[in-house]
Amino acid sequence: MDIVAGVLMVFGSGLVLLAGVGVVRSWGIYARMHSAAKAPTLGILAIAVGLAVAVRSTTALVTALLVVVLQLVTGPVGTHLLGRAVYRRMRPQLDGIDELARDESDAT
Amino acid sequence: MTVLIAVAFVLLAGGAGCFLFRLFRGPSVADRVIALDGLLMTVTCGIMVEVTREESITSLDTVLVVALAAFVGTGVLARYVERRADESEDA
Repeated sequence: MDIVAGVLMVFGSGLVLLAGVGVVRSWGIYARMHSAAKAPTLGILAIAVGLAVAVRSTTALVTALLVVVLQLVTGPVGTHLLGRAVYRRMRPQLDGIDELARDESDAT
Repeated sequence: MTVLIAVAFVLLAGGAGCFLFRLFRGPSVADRVIALDGLLMTVTCGIMVEVTREESITSLDTVLVVALAAFVGTGVLARYVERRADESEDA
């Protein structure tokens, strides 16, 4: 069981490292947000599962579950907020169809 | 198990170094917000690995606090970025 937990921890940490490399190497704010938002979520999930496997107690299980749920709920919300802010600030850098501007002009 | 946890810590340190690089270098405020969010996620992972290494759940509640602080911080900084955009459009 400990080996399973250790492998899960290494997997999750590798995903966090991958996200860091993506944040450093990607070009453009959207690519950086892409790599910074998705990979650490799965990494936190794997590490929380490893923690629940290694530390066999109800408190650890409940807390790990809470962390996973919190991350899965708040991660996309935060990324969406930041993405919208960045989009409104850097609109001229986009190419192609501006769908948000179209929807906003329809709404008003 | 000990070796695997050591490897996990090294990987997390590498990720934290990458996020720190982007936090200092990042051309725009949004890059820094992303880097800060990723850094706090790395801290969350690090605390969870440390709890597993110690096999005591004393510091496990810190994980929840850090995760919540990361979300609130990202939301507030996103509002800040957006508000600055409005002011620069008005000016």
